[in-house]
Amino acid sequence: MFHAYRSITLSSLQTKIGWDAVQIAPDDDVAVALRDLSGIVRVRCSDRIEKIALLELIPFGHKFAFSDLAAGQEVRKYGAPIGRLTRSVLAGQHVHVHNLKSQRAKIRGG
Amino acid sequence: MAEKVFLGFPRQSDRAGVRNHLLVLCINGLVAATAIQIGSSLSHCKVVATPYGRGQYGPDKECHFRQLVGVGASPNNGAVLVIGADRKSADDVAAAIAVVSHSPIEVLTLDDTHQDALELTARAIRKGATMIRELSRARREPVSVSQLYLGLECGQSDASSGLAANPLAGAVADRLVDAGATAVVGETLEWLGAEHALLHRCVSVEVGRKVVQVVAAREGAVTAAGVDLIGNNPGQENIAGGLSTIEEKSLGAVAKTGTRPIVDMLDFGQRPGPAGLYLMDGPSFSPESMTGFVASGTQLILFTTGPGNSYCSLLAPTIKIGANPASCAYLTEQLDFNGSNVLQGLQSLDEAADALFAAVIDFASGTLTLGEATGQGSECFTRIGASL
Repeated sequence: MFHAYRSITLSSLQTKIGWDAVQIAPDDDVAVALRDLSGIVRVRCSDRIEKIALLELIPFGHKFAFSDLAAGQEVRKYGAPIGRLTRSVLAGQHVHVHNLKSQRAKIRGG
Repeated sequence: MAEKVFLGFPRQSDRAGVRNHLLVLCINGLVAATAIQIGSSLSHCKVVATPYGRGQYGPDKECHFRQLVGVGASPNNGAVLVIGADRKSADDVAAAIAVVSHSPIEVLTLDDTHQDALELTARAIRKGATMIRELSRARREPVSVSQLYLGLECGQSDASSGLAANPLAGAVADRLVDAGATAVVGETLEWLGAEHALLHRCVSVEVGRKVVQVVAAREGAVTAAGVDLIGNNPGQENIAGGLSTIEEKSLGAVAKTGTRPIVDMLDFGQRPGPAGLYLMDGPSFSPESMTGFVASGTQLILFTTGPGNSYCSLLAPTIKIGANPASCAYLTEQLDFNGSNVLQGLQSLDEAADALFAAVIDFASGTLTLGEATGQGSECFTRIGASL
């Protein structure tokens, strides 16, 4: 239900700023979408804007890889590790619970 | 920066109140329904009725008692009417409240009425009415912002929380601390993976050690229980909003601590010492976390949310802020402050934080939050053990 109204409202928002997504810290591996995104998007990285081609739809608030990342690699956001990749990811692909796993509070076999 | 004074109700022995209601504090679940009936017959009162009160022991009993006393001693209570089943336990709670608070306290119990709950209800309504009338004589007076003690909470987070709403709350915490006030951040499990961001700000190695200890204790409990945090924390709504792991959620959550030194780690519901920023060891479930804040004396709570969250504390006016543009546009009768311009890069964090600080002063001075206006609010006692 939340997704339904969110999409409608966001599509009516004009892009008032020069970027669609942000890389929060300079060494982050992922950028965060500031609206539902697809195609070629502009990412604010510190004081410059970089263009990147998304390989899938990235919903508002979700993350995509900023460069190709290997399976097993730590992913950084906020300038700190937020988990480890369970499979390799290409630049522009969605990074979320399907390919990123916490490194804390690990349960046996988990 | 905004003014350094709010209009409050000065208290003899504590921080000023930002509200001045009668608290009907029911300390025993046996008479909880009676207390709710009493409250419904009185205006300008708040009812907190624990469902527990017997068969507790050890640290759980102590924790419950600390919450009852802390909630009773909230500076937002101009007076307290304690309702209990037996005389002794009710008197014990009242006496402990009186150590902290100078507000008038009355005690009524089932023991006084030969176990007649209807008689207890009648007596409490009569007693409560005279107390409320007396409370109504109080007038707000200018009080220094340094008397404020703010709780910082987040609930139903999404990526907008870590990007804008929590940094905004943190910037307000910085402003309060700089003005000589006090702030507290809880939800221990949501420091997991972000300890390094907190450690370097602790005033001593000892405080830093406590941070690591309490996080490890909860992480150990989760691991021992065989719980997969995914789906629990981050919860399903967090995941829908773009958060993938507890580390990611934590890094966004601790943004609401701002940047000032961390004075100490409080036990759940413990009152803080000297002014400044505190951490409180407690559960991540907002209702329980916020009751811990209230029990420690916070008069107001800043509550950030992504998709929205209507939960409010009953005793501490809860200022809801969001930064998700869709939620801010949609929840105009829930969110008290719109931080979406910060997320979109249309307003600087500093400008928005100044405006939010001014809003905090305004709510402290008597303006109702939307949660108060819509009649939302409750308190939720935490348990750390089972009953006998």
